[in-house]
Amino acid sequence: MTETSTTSPIGRDTPRVDGPRKVTGLAQYTSDFLFPGMLYGVPVEATIANGKLLALDTVAAEKMPGVRAVFHRANIGRIFRSTPAPGFDRVCEERRPPFEDDVIQYYGQYIALAVADTFEAAKAAADAVRATYAKEKSNVEARLEAGHDPDVVFTTYGPVPREQSKRGDPEGAFASAPVKLDETYVTPAETHNPLELHATTAIWDGTMLTLYDSTQGVVNARSVLAQMFGLPKENVRVISKFLGSGFGGKLYPWTHVPLAAAAARQLGKPVKLVVSRKMMFQSVGHRARTQQRMRLGATREGKLVSLMHDYVYHMSMLGDYHEDCGEATPFHYSVPNLRASFGRARRNIGATADMRGPGAVPGLYATESAMNELADNLKMDPVQLRLLNEPRLDESNGLLFSSRHYVECLNVGAEKFGWAKRNPAIGSMKRDGLTLGWGMAGAAWIAGRFEAAANVQLRDDGTVRVACATQDIGTGTYTILAQLASEKTGVPLDNIEVELGDSALPDGPISGGSLATSSVIPAVFKAADQAIASLLIIAVTTPGSPFLGHKPDDLALEGGRIFVKAEGPGKGVPFGDLLRRANARLVTGSGSAEMTAFAPNPKFSKHSFGCHFVEVTWQAEIARLRVSRVVTVMDAGRILNPLTGRNQIQGAVVMGIGMALFEETIYDPQNGAPINSNLADYMVTVNADAPPIDVTFLDYPDKEINELGARGIGEIGLAGIAAAITDAVHHATGVRVRELPVRIENLLV
Amino acid sequence: MSNDDLKSQPADPTRRKFLLTSGSGVAASLVVGYVPALARDAAGEVDLAPTAEGPNIEGAVPITLRINGREHSLRIDPRTTLLDCIRETVTLTGTKKGCDHGQCGACTVHVNGKRVLSCLNLALMHDGEEITTVEGLGTPDAMHPMQAAFLACDAYQCGYCTSGQIMSAVALLKEPCGTDDASVKELMSGNICRCGAYSNIVAAIQQVRKNV
Repeated sequence: MTETSTTSPIGRDTPRVDGPRKVTGLAQYTSDFLFPGMLYGVPVEATIANGKLLALDTVAAEKMPGVRAVFHRANIGRIFRSTPAPGFDRVCEERRPPFEDDVIQYYGQYIALAVADTFEAAKAAADAVRATYAKEKSNVEARLEAGHDPDVVFTTYGPVPREQSKRGDPEGAFASAPVKLDETYVTPAETHNPLELHATTAIWDGTMLTLYDSTQGVVNARSVLAQMFGLPKENVRVISKFLGSGFGGKLYPWTHVPLAAAAARQLGKPVKLVVSRKMMFQSVGHRARTQQRMRLGATREGKLVSLMHDYVYHMSMLGDYHEDCGEATPFHYSVPNLRASFGRARRNIGATADMRGPGAVPGLYATESAMNELADNLKMDPVQLRLLNEPRLDESNGLLFSSRHYVECLNVGAEKFGWAKRNPAIGSMKRDGLTLGWGMAGAAWIAGRFEAAANVQLRDDGTVRVACATQDIGTGTYTILAQLASEKTGVPLDNIEVELGDSALPDGPISGGSLATSSVIPAVFKAADQAIASLLIIAVTTPGSPFLGHKPDDLALEGGRIFVKAEGPGKGVPFGDLLRRANARLVTGSGSAEMTAFAPNPKFSKHSFGCHFVEVTWQAEIARLRVSRVVTVMDAGRILNPLTGRNQIQGAVVMGIGMALFEETIYDPQNGAPINSNLADYMVTVNADAPPIDVTFLDYPDKEINELGARGIGEIGLAGIAAAITDAVHHATGVRVRELPVRIENLLV
Repeated sequence: MSNDDLKSQPADPTRRKFLLTSGSGVAASLVVGYVPALARDAAGEVDLAPTAEGPNIEGAVPITLRINGREHSLRIDPRTTLLDCIRETVTLTGTKKGCDHGQCGACTVHVNGKRVLSCLNLALMHDGEEITTVEGLGTPDAMHPMQAAFLACDAYQCGYCTSGQIMSAVALLKEPCGTDDASVKELMSGNICRCGAYSNIVAAIQQVRKNV
């Protein structure tokens, strides 16, 4: 692919620069890195969810052919606890190191690790280890009641008050409201299930620990692992070149990572540990089950007077994770009296964790479903109800929105979908013998930046290298970084080398919060500016340079050529020529930018917005429900690459169809195991389930975020879609399903 | 049954044969721990008792895999799946492991021109057969039309399922399949794309089909 050097690549459909490697099998994911003498580790999983490990019989396993060791508490060596740090550092959800004690807190907790010459031998040995337990009754109850927590709870990201937002008198206003809604919405435990299995290959080289790790945050993983092994940070290197996605599940290190590292330390050889699909339901996080009571009060005209969002979520015995269902509640609509509060229910399950659109996705399912039901009670169009309650500012803090075009999203979506033709009567719309259901819902997601640093090199062969220790989880970060470097230097994408996914590079952001793109923009731009400044000094000082006698300020770089501003780019010199004349292989620049997300005193309320319009078809005779088309409109700042951007949103909608209709992790009350721990029993959307999805970006730049006005789009597409689908199901069938996923048996009435 | 007998069996990845010859995954401990029981199988077909030989892999057996037109003479643990053999022994890592249970399609390869889930097959079952992996279709400089179409249509995101999607898509070109998108979607539903790039995958396949 060739770009003309004078045309900006920003905002253009740009095929991925890493695409040729992905389609030919050459892109190397963590488990694709093979090393001489590499051993294979397979963990042994606890088969109880609560109790104590009394004894491990490893004798048979250790004698098996090809087995190097069976590790457990007595022989794994020291693994220290990783403790929370201020800011966005050293984050991990299960802080108890593996094998630290004999207490079993969830089914699948690792109790031993078999290491052998081959995967086959390691698996056989792991299966041959026998454990004896003192088993206690496990609690995996699906119905949730809040436990006794203090008013402020400690969470993964710091302290959070359980009454997280309040204004006015929500109880009183609700009591006196002429129109009311009081319903409880339930979302199930969901498992991320990225297609790439979590994997770690650990290599000790003297004092240096190198980890090839399927992580969405190499910089954070380095900090966590350095503390777990008592090493200076510079002695740990984490590499994640290609990631088979993560959806939040790979943000922070799980217990298999230190296990692989400890085994490699004990054996003096590289150890590769690939987590099985079954283990991925047990020990690498999941989205919490939530139970959300929504109370909405409104005038007969549809003006909201009270909104109460009180929710409970489940969590592990060990974790601090907060499923922030109330994230979008306080600002999404105008309402004078509001409360968002939460409680927590501890269960004998693996840790809960961020999953794509954490908090807001289950939260918006509840709030948007409640809005749809309220519209029903009011006999009002649901779009109209939202338009009527559009806020002028963020009523939770009195701040203006940096950029909010939610009303335009609704209007454009309604227009594109043909919403005006909707007959609100249940089951009234038909096509080709099928009953149609039309539904809609709104969406929101946070915007801002993480701290980020980057490095840009301009080289004497006319190429550019841009480097940042962030990751590409499939969102297209390789391509974004190349586009940014190209934008600044005018060098075509073909001549830009992107280095990421390595903690040895300048510290980059996690691939999370939909913030990676917005975060790297100022860092890369500053780095490029600094490299260009170095280049201009060379231009005015190198003997034989045509720019001798000029000041650097007189010059500029455009389209890869240096020129005198007053003379225009026509007489420019390619920067590679100049570097060669100066006998400089390259000039380099560094740039960084601070974190603005979650800042204590923001000037604006910064969010992305959007909406979905959904059509389902219902064939009552054979109970066949299908999502047949989706129109999605996004107000997510400026879109840097619409080709990959549309794909992101479509993919999120596809996942949302799974959230609405298929996905649920089910815990067996007998032993506490996630019993549907495979991809046949935990159903996800397949190709035949995915309808045409029409995505529109409003593309308003949000200059409060960064100079390009780009926010992020990885998560918002999943927000609201389940509420739109259940609304459409109601329109077709008359059944309001308030507990996801919608099951056929719910509709057989 | 000797190793030669195993080799002489035709490539027919039926459920029954898989069950009879499987020694990997969950069943691995059974093979090692309870070999006599398996050896007494009613059909009398199974005897996978490992024999002590080989420097690193006890019970290793010789096998020749023809992958992407090249012969690989190997000694492998008889429990090795075709997937693990291709990835770990032959070191062609373009083929991916997503579930190891035949549920996701990431490990799809071609055996004698037909798509096969390599995680559900033992390597020994394919001795001497023609195996094609994604690396055998094309390279970044000389892509197969399907690879080029996936690139142009952005028919992926993370890329992890992509090898399997492309292998299924190329096999689909020779399978009975209606011309409409719905038929393609049906035949591609054994390949999960958790990123959800399904529309673009269908677009890429239809683009190639139109040009064939």
